[in-house]
Amino acid sequence: MDFLDQIRGMSFFDMHIHMVSRTTDDYQAMADAGIVAVIEPAFWMGQPRSGPDSFRDYFATLVGWERFRASQFGIRHYCTIGLNSKEANQEALAEQVMEMLPLFIYKEGVVGIGEIGFDDQTPAEEKYYRAQLDLAREAGLPVQIHTPHRDKKQGTSRSMDIALEHGLAPNMVIVDHNNEETVREVLDRGFWAGFTIYPFTKMGNERMVEVVKQYGPERIMINSAADWGISDPLAVPKTAALMKQQGISDETIRLVTFQNAVTAFAQSGQIDVDALTQPITIDQSERFNGSSVLRGGQAPRIDKTSTIIR
Amino acid sequence: MNILQMSQTLFYLIEQQPDSGKAVSYLQQQTDAFQADPKRATFYRVFTALPRFVGKQSLTVPDDMAFALERIRPGLTVTGWTMDRLSRVWWLLQLSADDETHYVQTITELFRAGEINELVALYSALPVLSYPAAWQFQATEGIRSNIGDVQSAIMLHNPYPKDEFDEAAWNQLVLKAFFTDKDVTQITGLTERKNARLAQTLADYVAERQAAGRSLPPHIEELL
Repeated sequence: MDFLDQIRGMSFFDMHIHMVSRTTDDYQAMADAGIVAVIEPAFWMGQPRSGPDSFRDYFATLVGWERFRASQFGIRHYCTIGLNSKEANQEALAEQVMEMLPLFIYKEGVVGIGEIGFDDQTPAEEKYYRAQLDLAREAGLPVQIHTPHRDKKQGTSRSMDIALEHGLAPNMVIVDHNNEETVREVLDRGFWAGFTIYPFTKMGNERMVEVVKQYGPERIMINSAADWGISDPLAVPKTAALMKQQGISDETIRLVTFQNAVTAFAQSGQIDVDALTQPITIDQSERFNGSSVLRGGQAPRIDKTSTIIR
Repeated sequence: MNILQMSQTLFYLIEQQPDSGKAVSYLQQQTDAFQADPKRATFYRVFTALPRFVGKQSLTVPDDMAFALERIRPGLTVTGWTMDRLSRVWWLLQLSADDETHYVQTITELFRAGEINELVALYSALPVLSYPAAWQFQATEGIRSNIGDVQSAIMLHNPYPKDEFDEAAWNQLVLKAFFTDKDVTQITGLTERKNARLAQTLADYVAERQAAGRSLPPHIEELL
């Protein structure tokens, strides 16, 4: 059976996905699978940037072009803005990016500071992680933490220790890329626990189902972190379908694939919770106030199965 | 254009909006603070953050106000705008225009880092900014934008292109409007700025569409 049949009518919020690396086919498939909103955390591009203008243009893309692209498929696009841990190691550049961040973090649709934290766990990474925690606290924004691939368990504990040291409440911090080894401590300490369903390297979704069975839905949220690597932008709806097959309740599925992420990031004041499941075309027509031109423009659908292209 | 008069009229329109108490006191406070200590960081922060305080309600524009605006800046219309868009345009008028370099540089930075709604407000503000000639290139960048709302803010109901664009830039605006499915009848100055070169380019476009077996956009014949 097609997994889409099992989740028809459900709405999903993928709270971590890098849409700049994805195609319009992905957007269409995501919309068809029930994804109504996404968060795109600022990260690195797979290759290091060599100057501050590349960061500026990237941040501007997240709040500009990418948001528009998403809206054409009826998907609301939010982002978190920050200096990622890998590029924090280029200290001269990092300083310039830090100066730029206040220009972006108050913008509409910016729902947090992210993704920040540790990669190699160097002193430079720690320095800019701490500076950005202060920025988040001053701005009253949630923080989206990237936990390291290497030395993960210890790096995750340390990320939380430092966040608390900087006066952030655990309910303002989303600790991402958890696994079976990190989840208990994250939940016990009152933080939100993000799980990334990403083939080969992070979580598989059968394991995810077991985690939800063991820990329940409280403060757990699922994302795809789909990017320029081999990843799956439908990871959230697919995991919802698998949970459904395995007898997990609709309410639990709703919490871990939609509501918990909304609750956590709406603390930014930048998510209109009531509007989230309304079609996006409604606000376009409202905004245009009676004109015949649809300002955002909805993308026309093409028949992918046909060999004819018009 | 008299900037002070425009600023006062826009603010009066803000005050007239239903439930505008919070917005009015926020904007008043911010402009007082900014005039007392005109820091660039303050200017940017208020421009970016003001939707949180003024909201995004659609405007009600009484006829007398529409008339007053049109008299201060011919061609300007704010009908269809939202409260945040109007407030941002008003806020831009709070920046001192005494030093052209500083003025242009400060506002150009906003363009460089703008999100969608900020860009809409910035392009909407071009007709009321000081040093009109200084914004010509930026205005053509708006037409090059790939974001529908941003294109519309400069192409439609905006008198800036009609007043400031040379023929090549104007023709590009009209062509791009056809290519992006805009309602060209909403372009300010469409009839006044008809020209032979544009007619020729549009005629070629019509032929190209016909050769491809595609339909013609509405109103294109009127410009041939």
